Amino acid sequence: MFILQAYLLSLLFADWLSTIATDSTTDRQLLVSLLPLLALCLLGRPVLQYGREQLSVSASQQVRLKLRQQVLQHIADAGPGKNQYGSDGSISTKLLEQVDALDGFISRYYVQRYLVLVIPLLLAIATAFYSLLAAAILLLTAPLVPMFMILLGNAAASASQQQFTEQARMGGRFLDLVRGLPTLRQLNAVERAANSVANAAERYRDSSMKVLKMAFLSGAVLEFFSALAIALLALYLGLGLLGILPWAKGDIVVPYQGALFILLLAPEFYAPLRQLGSDYHAKAEAEAAIAGLQPILQHQAWQHTGSQSLAINAAPEIRINQLQISGEFGRQRLAPISLHIGAGERIALQGPSGCGKSSLLHALLGFTHYSGDIFIGQQSLSDITLQQWQQQLGYMAQQSSFIAASIADNLRLAAPAATAEQLSRVLQQVELWPLISRLPNGINTMLGERGLGLSGGQLQRLALAQLLLRDANIWLLDEPSAHLDGATAYRLHQLIGQLSVGKTVLLVSHQLHGLDWLDQVIRLPDGVSSLTREDMHERA
Amino acid sequence: MNAPEPIRLRSLLASRRGAWSLSLLLGFITLLAVVSLLALSGWFISAAALAGLVSVGIGFDYFRPAAIIRLCAITRTAGRYAERLSSHYAALGLLKDLRVTRFNVMAQSKSPTRHSADSLQRLVSDIDLLDQFPLKVVAPWLWALLLTTLVMMFWAWLAQPLLLATLPLLLAALVVPPTTLHQALALAKQQADTAALRRQAALEPLSMLTNLRLWQRWQSAVQPFHRADQQLLALQQRQQQLISRSVLAQHCLLALALLALLWQGSSLLASGQLSVALLLAALLALWALYEVLTPLCHSFVALGLSMAARDRLNQLGDITVADNDKPQPTGPYRLTVEQLSARHPAALSGPDNISFALQSGQTLVINGTSGAGKSSLLQALAGDLPYQGQVTLNNKPLQHWQLSHCLGYLPQQPDIFDLTLAQNLRLGAPEASEQELWQVLEDVALKTWALSQPQQLDTLMGEFGTAVSGGQGRRIALARLLLTKRPILLLDEPFAGLDSITTQRVAKALQQRQQSGLLIIVSHQQFPLEHTIELRLPAE
Repeated sequence: MFILQAYLLSLLFADWLSTIATDSTTDRQLLVSLLPLLALCLLGRPVLQYGREQLSVSASQQVRLKLRQQVLQHIADAGPGKNQYGSDGSISTKLLEQVDALDGFISRYYVQRYLVLVIPLLLAIATAFYSLLAAAILLLTAPLVPMFMILLGNAAASASQQQFTEQARMGGRFLDLVRGLPTLRQLNAVERAANSVANAAERYRDSSMKVLKMAFLSGAVLEFFSALAIALLALYLGLGLLGILPWAKGDIVVPYQGALFILLLAPEFYAPLRQLGSDYHAKAEAEAAIAGLQPILQHQAWQHTGSQSLAINAAPEIRINQLQISGEFGRQRLAPISLHIGAGERIALQGPSGCGKSSLLHALLGFTHYSGDIFIGQQSLSDITLQQWQQQLGYMAQQSSFIAASIADNLRLAAPAATAEQLSRVLQQVELWPLISRLPNGINTMLGERGLGLSGGQLQRLALAQLLLRDANIWLLDEPSAHLDGATAYRLHQLIGQLSVGKTVLLVSHQLHGLDWLDQVIRLPDGVSSLTREDMHERA
Repeated sequence: MNAPEPIRLRSLLASRRGAWSLSLLLGFITLLAVVSLLALSGWFISAAALAGLVSVGIGFDYFRPAAIIRLCAITRTAGRYAERLSSHYAALGLLKDLRVTRFNVMAQSKSPTRHSADSLQRLVSDIDLLDQFPLKVVAPWLWALLLTTLVMMFWAWLAQPLLLATLPLLLAALVVPPTTLHQALALAKQQADTAALRRQAALEPLSMLTNLRLWQRWQSAVQPFHRADQQLLALQQRQQQLISRSVLAQHCLLALALLALLWQGSSLLASGQLSVALLLAALLALWALYEVLTPLCHSFVALGLSMAARDRLNQLGDITVADNDKPQPTGPYRLTVEQLSARHPAALSGPDNISFALQSGQTLVINGTSGAGKSSLLQALAGDLPYQGQVTLNNKPLQHWQLSHCLGYLPQQPDIFDLTLAQNLRLGAPEASEQELWQVLEDVALKTWALSQPQQLDTLMGEFGTAVSGGQGRRIALARLLLTKRPILLLDEPFAGLDSITTQRVAKALQQRQQSGLLIIVSHQQFPLEHTIELRLPAE
């Protein structure tokens, strides 16, 4: 704010001094004496302006950096529950573009809001020094401006909200059709689709022109008021100088120097208001962005607060007692359930979608708040240090993701210190070694974006290799075969059976094909053990 | 079919010449009014003061200048309103043109790779960026050059020395923005690259969030993202600095011009060659040029952004000319495949040395484990993937025929559009009656489901077909394909999610429809069917 004040003062100075200077140009002596000061003000103003811009830019960057970290932290705390915020693509759009959309608001609108109060007031005071009437004219017209702005602005705001959704819809339609271009081409329906794109764009143009008319009208009203006020001032000052004001005939109410000073100030008086009006869209943009971020920021991430150290060194038993998980708005995500999984026992969870299978896994992973008890051996999960607990866990999701790096790098994500021998051993265990060893670059073969180059089943087996490297005692597997065809799923299930001996395993799966090694199959929501190992063997 | 031109920035203005020239003209008039308003009111007040000093306002014609001042004020207000409307009208029109032409370009390019959702999102925002070129580059420069010339002519008319004193400084102020050109373009390119990098760096850890948290690797995995973010912010700051610095330099030059004008003016005043009023008018005209010249400093950053957007958009358009002049095959059909091998560029494996022969009325069922190359084989036959080996249709190589109206391919992830069920189906056959739609839905075992929907045929499919499950979506796409009545059908896993009895029923219906055509089905399910040849691909 100090900078801003200085900027204001310099602005005043510049105007004031230039007035004096031009007033007395007949005498060169004065010009010479004023020249350094005038130069200082004229040059100082852009310099201060420059400083102000730098400050507001770095302020905006600080805010965005911080906000982005905050959003990312919220997402990270949600763990596998991040999907409630949308797909990874839309989360990243929120994280990147939506946070960046705040820039204009912070760096311009935010500061401008204060300037709009301070500058006109200071200018009015300066004007009053010369002419009370002129200051009164300025101050009288000034509040009219925001008043009309609010009247028009409210209408424009709701209309622009509508326009934002319209724009999003048009973008969505375009995206939807472009994404499906191969299909459209196949169906010879490209022309019809192009027409649909054109129609959507045309409709969007019509609707947004309506909004823009309104928005620009508010700008025009502002402009009109400032023009009106300046014209009034000019008339008053001009006639005053001529001495033909009806109530002060023959008097010069404001001397020339003051008059010029006021006339020079008048446009500056309205400038911040006008600027605020044109920065309005920055505010609308920021509001839309914040609305998109709100669900992430408002979601009260639950923090696991346990601090006891975990005392297990083999596969533990897990006892779940009246476990219940509720989601937002009091929605029940898992009905109360009690389970007992013996040490080294391997069970599957089954049930209709939405019955809380995944939520149960998320609670065990330590990402979700729950009521009831989970006992790991003799300790309650909520008392254990999260980090130590998570080190004991191996987790696999429906689709495993990999970074665009070599196979070895991806494996070393799980175990940074693993040797080449260890890597080849786990790859042998998951039966990928014959394929990978045949490749020219072996385990240094690059995987493309999202693990391109390997089939779905191969990728899941690579994820299994990562699990093996962790040497965790508890495996939590969330439908690892959901996206695989029957034969491949069977093979993966068999492989998991071979490699998980001696571990406590909780597997969510729709199909039991190839899972004859399970000890129990538990059906949710009632938690009844429907199959035992003996039944499975009979079936097989 | 003509290959469309790549986007050129200069042709952006050509498409809507009328609208653009109108908005350029309006903008010019508005700015002219701004400059003359200030100059005239300065002259008016000084002249009035002078008149007031000499003889009490008698004989001084204040009506005409006052009327002109009012005219200027009104022109400024109305002109700005009209200019904004017309330029936005033109810009939205441009946006529409761009979307439609880009859509057509992409429709004609037959690149086998599908664009990811993110790259499409970028495409949409890139198109939105292109209107910056006319709005922020062309218009400001045109206006600035014209108005500067006018102001200089005004000075020259007042007094030659006045022009001579300020000419070099004013020209220098015009030259300042172009000096940023090189750096601005480089920065824009760098910024685009870093933004892509940042998105990638955000998406990778997000896609494997849970495991990274379990492995305590989350913090280190998001490091590259934070680095990219900071890098991008630094680049943005440099960009802003570039703008601010050139504004600073420009304003300093203008300030010096102002001082030079004063200095020169004072000597002209002393020698009586110039009146105070006219000098003030000259001074204020320069003052008003600030508003005209400042946008120039932003123009090259905008240019850089538009150019980067243009380059990315042009990269998408690898155009292939449609094969309209080739003959269409007629039944009965005979397809022979000899020693076909194909492989995706990034894939580790693919179909190898495949041979078979198929005649009208026969069905080929391809099975094998995932990764064996079933889908790649179909893509090769559909012409989406290059292959080695011989493929002939009716004893002529596949390339000999125009297949766009007789070959139908159902991919594993077909596109369901955010339209109603009926609209999605009618993409295949615009004229299909409701009865035909219900019939085809029955054939793909979706009639019961569609009848159970409250909106039946008008059920909305949701963005990316989210309202239906994967298997349903595939069968909706199958129904759509059946409506096109293609004699050759290549279907990739059409029966996903169906029990064996329904599978059998749907397969029968398919055969019924393809009696005189060819039917190739990739499936991992086994189903007994007459007139079927089975092809089993060996495992990897």
